[in-house]
Amino acid sequence: MSARYLVRRLIQVPPAVGAILAVAFLLIHAAPGDPVLALAGEHGDAAYYSEMRARFGLDRSVPEQFAVFAANLVRFDLGTSYVHGRPAIDVISERIPSTLLLTGSAFALSTGIGIALGLFAASRVRRAGDLAVSLASLSLQATPSFWLAQLAILALGLAAGWFPIGGMTSARSSATGLAAALDVVHHLVLPAAVLAATELAVVARLMRTGLLDELAQDYIRTARAKGLSELQVLTRHALRRALIPVVTVVGSRVGHLLAGAVIVEAVFGWPGVGRLLLSSVQTRDTPIVLGIFLLIATTVILANLATDLVYARLDPRIRHG
Amino acid sequence: MLRRLSVLVWLVTLASACAPAASPLPSSASPAASPAASPSAASSAAAAGGGGTLVVAIGADPGHLNPAITTSGGTHTASELLYNGLVGLDGDLQPVPELAESWKVEDDGATYRFKLREGVTWHDGTPFTADDVKFTFEEVLLKLHSRTRASVAPALETIEVVDPLTVVFHFKQPYAPFLQQLDVTEAPIVARHVYEGSDPVENPANLEPVGTGPFTFVSYSPDEEIKLARNESYWAPGLPKLDEVIMRVMPETGSQVIALEAGEVDWIWGVPGPDEERLDADPEIELLRTDRNPGGSNCVMTISFNLDRPVLQDLRVRQAIAHAVDRQQFVDRVLFGQGRVAEAPISSGIPWAHGTSVPLPAFDVAAAAALLEDAGWKAAASGPRTASAVAGVEDGTPLKLDFLHFPAFGRYAELLRTQLAEIGVDLQLEPLEPPVFADTVFKARDFDTNIISYCNGLDPEVGVRRMFDSAQIGPVPFSNAAAYRNEEVDALFTEALGVVDRDARGEIYRRLQDLVVADQPYVWVVETTAVRAYRLPCQSFVPYAQFAEAATCAP
Repeated sequence: MSARYLVRRLIQVPPAVGAILAVAFLLIHAAPGDPVLALAGEHGDAAYYSEMRARFGLDRSVPEQFAVFAANLVRFDLGTSYVHGRPAIDVISERIPSTLLLTGSAFALSTGIGIALGLFAASRVRRAGDLAVSLASLSLQATPSFWLAQLAILALGLAAGWFPIGGMTSARSSATGLAAALDVVHHLVLPAAVLAATELAVVARLMRTGLLDELAQDYIRTARAKGLSELQVLTRHALRRALIPVVTVVGSRVGHLLAGAVIVEAVFGWPGVGRLLLSSVQTRDTPIVLGIFLLIATTVILANLATDLVYARLDPRIRHG
Repeated sequence: MLRRLSVLVWLVTLASACAPAASPLPSSASPAASPAASPSAASSAAAAGGGGTLVVAIGADPGHLNPAITTSGGTHTASELLYNGLVGLDGDLQPVPELAESWKVEDDGATYRFKLREGVTWHDGTPFTADDVKFTFEEVLLKLHSRTRASVAPALETIEVVDPLTVVFHFKQPYAPFLQQLDVTEAPIVARHVYEGSDPVENPANLEPVGTGPFTFVSYSPDEEIKLARNESYWAPGLPKLDEVIMRVMPETGSQVIALEAGEVDWIWGVPGPDEERLDADPEIELLRTDRNPGGSNCVMTISFNLDRPVLQDLRVRQAIAHAVDRQQFVDRVLFGQGRVAEAPISSGIPWAHGTSVPLPAFDVAAAAALLEDAGWKAAASGPRTASAVAGVEDGTPLKLDFLHFPAFGRYAELLRTQLAEIGVDLQLEPLEPPVFADTVFKARDFDTNIISYCNGLDPEVGVRRMFDSAQIGPVPFSNAAAYRNEEVDALFTEALGVVDRDARGEIYRRLQDLVVADQPYVWVVETTAVRAYRLPCQSFVPYAQFAEAATCAP
């Protein structure tokens, strides 16, 4: 892969992000609803409402507002949140770590378990184990995550008492260091598992199909002929090539995970970007909503780019020029 | 990429639509919880304190902790313990000393003279003085607190600092409601030395507040929790008792109830109607009922008629609908008992002003049908009535009305539709998100009927006048939705404003209520009450404002 290719791909990122933001901006402003309401409550006088509009530039025309937004954006300024009264970028940034923790854990969980399940299913093609994995992963994929989340809270949180009901830390705990980290992990288990659950199926199924394809290849027959055990054939030879389709979906999975985080964070009270997006859409807090769109768009585009690069390394036949 | 974003937006919408539907399963199983007071409780040697840790569930991230720049219920709930008003309001809405030790009303109510409490300090140790009061009103409240600005600002002339402990408010004319507008919800006092020379909306102190209240700020993790600690030098002797208050952000009421039952939190602000009976039966949990809320008090669920619409300009149609509403059913089936039938336009939570000499239209389907017949709306064999010689309406037009409501008020809408179907009115339900609702009703005025929770506040001037005053018809949200115009009513509101004697003032409001009941621009359905719940051994709460000032969680 050439450096020129990388540069060319990177150059494409800003226009793509810009186009997404422009469309998002127009959509938000085309939607009915007045952000000043969230700010002023229900008792203001007309002068108050118009002053608040002027304060946040909402009295200007949409093209003017977009020009201001775009000009600020170039300086990495997303504007001031109407609700929080602070720079939107600060409000968003302070919630990024918890979302990273949640989506990262879910990504690792779904990838790891998905690959393992795929391997397991491929080694037992059309037998009970294979069928069970397919059924289970498909059911999980088809289950709405908000329902699964509530089920998990009621069964494992309230009834069994194994996990906390929500939040990221225990209210009464004054733990520090390792104990505090373990407390966070304890709170992380349910939301990460729920978020991972819907993603498992994609990985498991791709892995299974990929492995079966590879196992039909000539070089596998050679490996078997050399006397390698079936496990060695699977893990040493077929796995590497079968991973390629799994890697190709990383980019889209990042998008899915971020979208899923909105729901999971809301149900579990996880203090992340997804919950912020939800409440900001409800209050029409445009600077925050656009900032989060920017973050998600950039993440997904970069994840796709990274996917292409890794893809090339995994499969020497693919060359980006 | 765009598809993914649209999927995301769709998911967001889906999640918001599903969120309120979440209801916890009844369960009495409590996992191993640790409701024990924090060990630091025992080590506190001061006269006050030793009350342990109180964990409070709050429904939304407050965004910031400055109650003086907003009327947002979220911010007020999370921050009122940090501040004080000049006065507090007791259970009967009578002012009691807080930062002001005493006061005198002079010039028939045109001048209010406050003697401030001596020795009060801000949480950073700076002494509190009259300059703080003048600054708070002039630079913060009268500009940014929408309720106080809308009512006090037009009436006020000047604020005079006589000496460091005396402050005088001069009004242009006698202004009766003032003492009801000085508590921590309506007029929290902020520190001049912290806010002077800055934009109060963007001052960093909004995230690290310095107040005079019973608790001091410790930390704020957005969307997660706010930690407060006992104010060691609080002006009220022996208070507060709690060592620590932790507010946990829990957006879902269902999760809040579960957390209370599991012992993860000690206090929740609202118990959903269907859960009340179960919590009431729990020996570890106590309930407190109140009409007051940090976001708005004495709320009356009110149906508005759009008086710009020809069909609804006929008084008989409005009266017919009022007769068809079985208000007791709303108390039983929608509120699960958490409220009462509205008996007058002004809430019974303002007892001195509440009441009419003519009762509101009683539930009477026959009377309703007769009124509609009389108005030219003839009953059909099935389905809605149709017009026959109704002014401004083509003959044969069915009696269909749209009904706008917040999605959260869906139960009201369903019940009302059923009740009105009985008299041949076809109600078309239109659930709209609050910002969209406000635009459609008050700016576009594109509706026939709607339902609004009009919070009357603690004085009719603040929360009642806006519904009837002909000067307050759009575009301001939650003003005069009906577009009701009656010069006599306008004049009575203005007259009442200048009468300090409460009984005399109440008489004026009663006369005014007789007039609006006769005109029926609204149907006043039910008064809603909130139910707080807390977990023993925590106790000694009041249900509003400084709710935990005297509370303790020590067994």
